Amino acid sequence: MTRSVIAAAVEAVLFVAEKPVSRSELAKTIGAGAKAVGEALAELEEWYRGTGLRLQHEADDWQIVTAPEMAPYVATYLGADRLRLSSAALETLAVVAYRQPVTRAEVESIRGVNCDQTIYTLMSRRLIEELGRREAPGSPFEYGTTWEFLECFGLTSLDALPTVLSPEGVRAGEVVAGE
Amino acid sequence: MPVGPRPPEVSVAGFAGPLDLLLELVEEKKLDIFTVRLGELADEYLARVRALAALPADEVSAFLYIASRLVLLKARSLLPSLTPLSDEDEGDTEEELRLRLIEYATTKGRAEALGDRLRAGDRAFHREGGTVDLPPKGGNPDALAAAWLKVLTLTRRTEEEVEVPGELYSVEQRTAEIEALVAEQPTVTFATLLGDRPTLGYAIVTFIALLDLYRRLVIDITQDELFGEIQVARKVRRMEGLPE
Repeated sequence: MTRSVIAAAVEAVLFVAEKPVSRSELAKTIGAGAKAVGEALAELEEWYRGTGLRLQHEADDWQIVTAPEMAPYVATYLGADRLRLSSAALETLAVVAYRQPVTRAEVESIRGVNCDQTIYTLMSRRLIEELGRREAPGSPFEYGTTWEFLECFGLTSLDALPTVLSPEGVRAGEVVAGE
Repeated sequence: MPVGPRPPEVSVAGFAGPLDLLLELVEEKKLDIFTVRLGELADEYLARVRALAALPADEVSAFLYIASRLVLLKARSLLPSLTPLSDEDEGDTEEELRLRLIEYATTKGRAEALGDRLRAGDRAFHREGGTVDLPPKGGNPDALAAAWLKVLTLTRRTEEEVEVPGELYSVEQRTAEIEALVAEQPTVTFATLLGDRPTLGYAIVTFIALLDLYRRLVIDITQDELFGEIQVARKVRRMEGLPE
């Protein structure tokens, strides 16, 4: 199996990039159509299966990262500390990750407690970020997860979030919170 | 609502919040979250909240809010005549609280799943590195070769300099040496005193020693022309009456 020239070009650009690169920027850089770049990305994704690398994407921003299975070695090499989060911070992160974009009031409604501190903690760890203001009374900030979040949890995209069944066996996400 | 960082969230007896406490009660009693009459948990819930005396005010209020709703649900089940509600209370139905509890249970499950991933440490890393400053184009290989030769020469010299014995000279020691030297021979050149390849420290110490000797009238210093050889000569001590 050989890679298409476009896939090789995409790989080369992503290799030197220090931040995720959008598909449109890839297309512009390489001089190929967005559709061809999409196919090249799929090709690369398939290609990396079983190697030490993975293709990670948040929305349409793409990045080459190391395979989560290789984390112990890479962490040793980098001397990286393992991320630790309190259970309260994890709960807030779970709400943001699965229900983004979400406001602080919504997070607090679901958790039933004040979430200022945990949101502050998650923001300072770059796991969540302000996406913008919602067009609602008080124009509250909406929060979403970052690509660092995907990286820290070894998820190739938000679609890879662990599926957790709600108590009635419904796939999580279909349960609607009462306000 | 307070703005900015607050002290860490207090969780007494392991409860992350009022819903957590309620969920815990349901699970402890092995009750079905879908059929349990939540009002029946009111007394037990209140008892637990009373034990949480040390909580900050806004935390307590969140616990008390759920508690009051549970008490209301209990009261309604005991006194069915209370059931008709004003529009304001419409949100306070048992079903609404149950939905919140289910949503919270789901959130907890998700948080645990994320926590498991975190503990497993199976994370990804991206390539880290500063932006590369590319060298200017049109490099000249000959210039590179010339520069390399120069570096080689410098390296060689450095290696030789390393062979020069230790640099720990004291001015006193050097002064004594020079004084002994001019006692043996009437004149000596500054270059001779410095030797072949003087280190900076050696040159400075020698120079200071000469100044000192000159001040003490031990030597005379002459220089015939600009940048010419400096002659260091034993000073004639007339006081001792020695013939010239």
